[in-house]
Amino acid sequence: MTDSEKWAWLTLFVVTLTATAYIAYVGLVGNGPAAQAVFALMALTAIPASSRRHLKGCRLDERERGIANTALLAAFRALLVAFIAAILTIGFSKGWDTSINVPLWVLSATICWAAIFVLTVEAVTTLVLYRRRLHA
Amino acid sequence: MPDAQPEIRNHIRRLRFEHGEMTQDQLAKMAGVTRHTIMALEGGKYFPSLLLAFRIARAFGAAVEQVFEYKESASAN
Repeated sequence: MTDSEKWAWLTLFVVTLTATAYIAYVGLVGNGPAAQAVFALMALTAIPASSRRHLKGCRLDERERGIANTALLAAFRALLVAFIAAILTIGFSKGWDTSINVPLWVLSATICWAAIFVLTVEAVTTLVLYRRRLHA
Repeated sequence: MPDAQPEIRNHIRRLRFEHGEMTQDQLAKMAGVTRHTIMALEGGKYFPSLLLAFRIARAFGAAVEQVFEYKESASAN
């Protein structure tokens, strides 16, 4: 298993752990600013050396770099699609002239979920690309 | 534009054994890639860049054409 695949599996584990902890926390305590503490679990992705692949620079060879770039691109494209879908959904359901007033913790939680979404898509794409026939 | 995907075959596995049963790890180090990439190349799962193709050929002391074989499909232009 390559470093990139190890990183992908670890990321999926941490994402699952974070989502499970968040759901459990919200179920017990309720949604609110305190529940944001669960997102600190995402720091676990930095523990093993294989998770720091982006900081290692030239440690990836051309095939691994190609897969990493494709996975990152896929993740941000998916985020863009999700962002546009969310904007359109809110716009059409609430009305385009509606003002929304949300507390700051909702904004920070949204950013954390977006990061989780990007990491998940990147990790899954990485694992898929390592398994399928890839033409450079 | 070609209609079908052309094939690039390689003789890396045969050349490794002809060069004193060179291991994938040894070849990977000589070519500056990981062993997984050599495995992917041998399995036909990856087409290398021109630079990597030259590096692998140099590791065997051979020409690129002796290591990689371009096979044009019938439907390609």
